[in-house]
Parts: sequence; C-alpha cells; structure tokens
Amino acid sequence: MKSTPPSIEGRRRLSPFWLQVITIGVLVILWEIAGRTGLILAYKYSYPSDVLLALYDLVVDGFPNGVRAFGHVEATFTRIILGFLLASICAIPLGLLLGRLPFVLAMVDPLITFARSMAVISLLPLAIALFGVGETARVALIFYACFWIVLSNAIQGAAQVDPLLLNVGRSLGLTRFQLFARVFLPAALPMIFAGMRVAVGMAFMVIVAVEMVGTVEGLGALISQARTFYRTPIAISGMVLIGLVGFLIAVGMAFLERWLMPWSRSQERKS
Amino acid sequence: MTAPSPTMRTALGFTGAILFIAIWHLAAASTGATGPLDVLRAGFGRGDAGDVLTHAALSMRRVLGGFAIGAGVGVTLGILTGWLPRLGAVLRAPIELLRPIPPLAWIPLAILWFGIGEGSKLYIVFLGAFFPVFTITYSAMAVLDPIYLRVGRSLGLNGARLLTRVAVPAILPDIVLSLRIALTYSFAAMVASELIAANAGLGFMILDARERGEFALMLFGVLMIGALAILSDTVLRLIFARPLARAAR
Repeated sequence: MKSTPPSIEGRRRLSPFWLQVITIGVLVILWEIAGRTGLILAYKYSYPSDVLLALYDLVVDGFPNGVRAFGHVEATFTRIILGFLLASICAIPLGLLLGRLPFVLAMVDPLITFARSMAVISLLPLAIALFGVGETARVALIFYACFWIVLSNAIQGAAQVDPLLLNVGRSLGLTRFQLFARVFLPAALPMIFAGMRVAVGMAFMVIVAVEMVGTVEGLGALISQARTFYRTPIAISGMVLIGLVGFLIAVGMAFLERWLMPWSRSQERKS
Repeated sequence: MTAPSPTMRTALGFTGAILFIAIWHLAAASTGATGPLDVLRAGFGRGDAGDVLTHAALSMRRVLGGFAIGAGVGVTLGILTGWLPRLGAVLRAPIELLRPIPPLAWIPLAILWFGIGEGSKLYIVFLGAFFPVFTITYSAMAVLDPIYLRVGRSLGLNGARLLTRVAVPAILPDIVLSLRIALTYSFAAMVASELIAANAGLGFMILDARERGEFALMLFGVLMIGALAILSDTVLRLIFARPLARAAR
C-alpha cells in the first residue's frame, strides 16, 4: 500500500486503512440485512451469516458426497503442484538452452508465441479426448498453462545474461559446470522465477474451470456442484476458499523468491 | 555468437512454422492421424462452413462486449481511485477483497444470477477484463511521479485538465499493457463460460465436436480461438500505437 502524504486538512480524519475496514463492515451488514429481510432473494445471493454456517458445514461434514473443505483444497493443490512442477522441470532446461541458440530460437519463436497465447481452457475437450476424463487430462492442462509461460521467461532469462559476467567467470578459471551453476543460473533465475509466479497464477485460474467438468473433488467442483443443487451459500464459501488459497499461494511464492534469491529485484515490481 | 538480424529472424520464423506444419502433415499422413489439411477441411470444407463463422461471430461479440465494459469501468475506476485517495480507499476495499477470486470461479454464481444466457457470459468476461485493468491502472496512478503533477500545476493546469493532460498520458503505457492482459483473460473467460454452459459459440463448438468424435473440427476450433486472440491483440496494439507515440513525447 502506498504511503499517504501528511494530510493538510488535519489529523482528525480517518486513515485510509480504517476507511476500508469500515467500508467492508458496512457492506457486509447491508448484505446481511438485505438477505434476511428478503430485499434480495436469499436463495440467489445468500447472506453473510448463512455463508459462515455453510463454511462450517463444509469443514465439518463436507459437500458433495462428504468431501470436506480440506479435501477440496488438497485435490486442487495437488493438481496445480503436479502440473506446475512437471512444466517447470521441462521448460527451464529447454528455455535456457534455446536462449543460447538464437537461430533455433528464431525458428521456433512463432510457434511458442502461438502456443502461449492460445486460450488454455479451449484445450479441455481436446485433453479429455486424448487422456479421458481423469486426473491426467487435468494435470496435462495445468502443465500446458505453465509450460509456455516458464519457457518464454527462461529463454529471456538466458538470453539476457550479461556476457561480461560469463567472461569474468571464465577468466577466473571456472569450469564449464561452475560457470553454469555459479554465474549463468543465478543471473537467469530472477526472470525464470517471475515466469513461475505468473504460471502459478495462470494454473490457479485454469484449474477452477477444469474442475467444473467430470469430478466432485476440488474447489472448482465444489462450487459447480453447489450451483447444481442450488446451495448458494456453499458456492460462496467455495469462492472464499478459492480466494484464500490463491492469496496464500501468491504470498508463498513471494517468500520463496526472497529466500531463494536475496539478490533478486523482481519482487519490487508491480504484481 | 551473433544474433540474427530482424529480417533474418522473420525468415527463420516463417521457415520454422512451415517446417512444423510440413512435419505434422507428413507424420499424420504416415500414421493416419489428424493432419493440418484435415483440420482445414473440417473448418471450411463442409456444407456447414457458415456454422463455424456463426459460432466465431457470437464468441467475438461476447469477448468484445465484456472486454469493452470491463476495460471501460476498470480504467475509469482505476484513475478515479488513484486521483482521489479517500474515495479511492473506500472503492478499493471491496475490489481488493474480491480480486483473489479468479473470474472463472464466478461462473456458477453467474449462471444462478443471470441464467445460462448472454448475461452470465458477459459478466464473466467483464470480470476477466476488469480486474487486471483496474489493478494496473490504479497502481500506475499511485506511483505516478509527483514531479509531473507539480510541473503541470506550475504551468497553470488544475483539476480535470491536470488529470487528462498530464496524469492520463503519463500512465497510458500501463493502461495499454493492462488492456492487452485483459484481452487474454477475456478470451479465457469466454471459452470457459461457453464450455460450461452454452449452446453456441466456439467453446460450445469444440465441446460438441468432441461429443460427436470430430477430432479435426475440435482442433480447428482451438486454433481458431488462438488465431482470433492474436488478431485482436494486434488490432489493439495498432489502435494504441499512435496515442502511445504521442504520449511518449
């Protein structure tokens, strides 16, 4: 949050933070009143206390078929991590290699651009046709979503390594492996990691839609099933969980980045 | 190691793309799998070719409609919240709270609220476009160098004129970037909403092709969505090329 300049009008006015807290509070209370008095249709829009009850039920009893909140989070998480890790393992070495081969890169560049800008979710029916309705199809889509983003960033990272750094390393007598591990990789890593962060975000967006088809486990399945049974409060609790998990993933990645690369500046960029 | 020249790069790019299609064609021809010609034939070479165009037109209407509304509201609110800090804090609170929820997670609720018609699709695309545009526009306003504003003021600009003559041109590059990101999200949102509940549009066409076992048509639909996304991005870039050049001066 940006720091606010000292107000000229005096210090008795509320700070922006408290203004925001009050805004949220007022909105929640208005929503509760509107829902309870029937001003808005409760079965369509629900209201906060009902959502909280549903969230409690979800954690204790589960929905649908007794799958509890934690089970849904776990299912979604597993799919994201699997697809994301597999994609990173494939894309990073390939991207680093391509980044050092400008002529080969120029040849595959249009293909990468096209593959990257394709709407990942449009591949869902294709993945189902190839792999059947199951975990493979879902993980494959997450893989696809992450692969091209990490790949293009790894290429950029490798291509942007300052030749001066490599020359210095060479004149210091580093072996080829040392040069790679000590100089080249650390120089390319911030760019790669920025790509990995974007990739996780994309994976998270894709998985929710992917889970709405052919499964009852996972956060996407949860909200989709809740709609089928007209259980609006459960759908909203599911969205709250999704928002929470997404937020935690973003925070986790930021921490990981700072821990892995204290020299990196990419966390200063606008997210 | 010398980098290839731009002309060389374009030539290599074309070669690579043609090579890819040729290899695909040969591999498909020798194994009997779906080749590039099958895909083209599935899309254009049939009696119901008009069908594909109808689906595409409907999808584009959804994307552009939702994108226009989402981007318009996003830019307006982003500039407003950045310009008026106190009103901005109030408006930003609910938006920031909803932002971590991916637009596609709204699909079930949107269907419940607006039915399976155009309303729910427009809403999902709207959300897909709104959040990136709003977030980027607002943060660009928030980090806008105060020097610009001071110079503007000392030149006698005030209020609305300071905003439209100084602040908005200064953040225009960020706005254009946010619009391009939003366009990508709009396409994703359109496809997802058409896959989950629709009876027309490219997303529906792909799903329908799968159910009828028409692999080539499915592939055609997927490639067509990709091509439309790239085309829209190019048009967007062309539209803003001149204003961007002017704002950079």
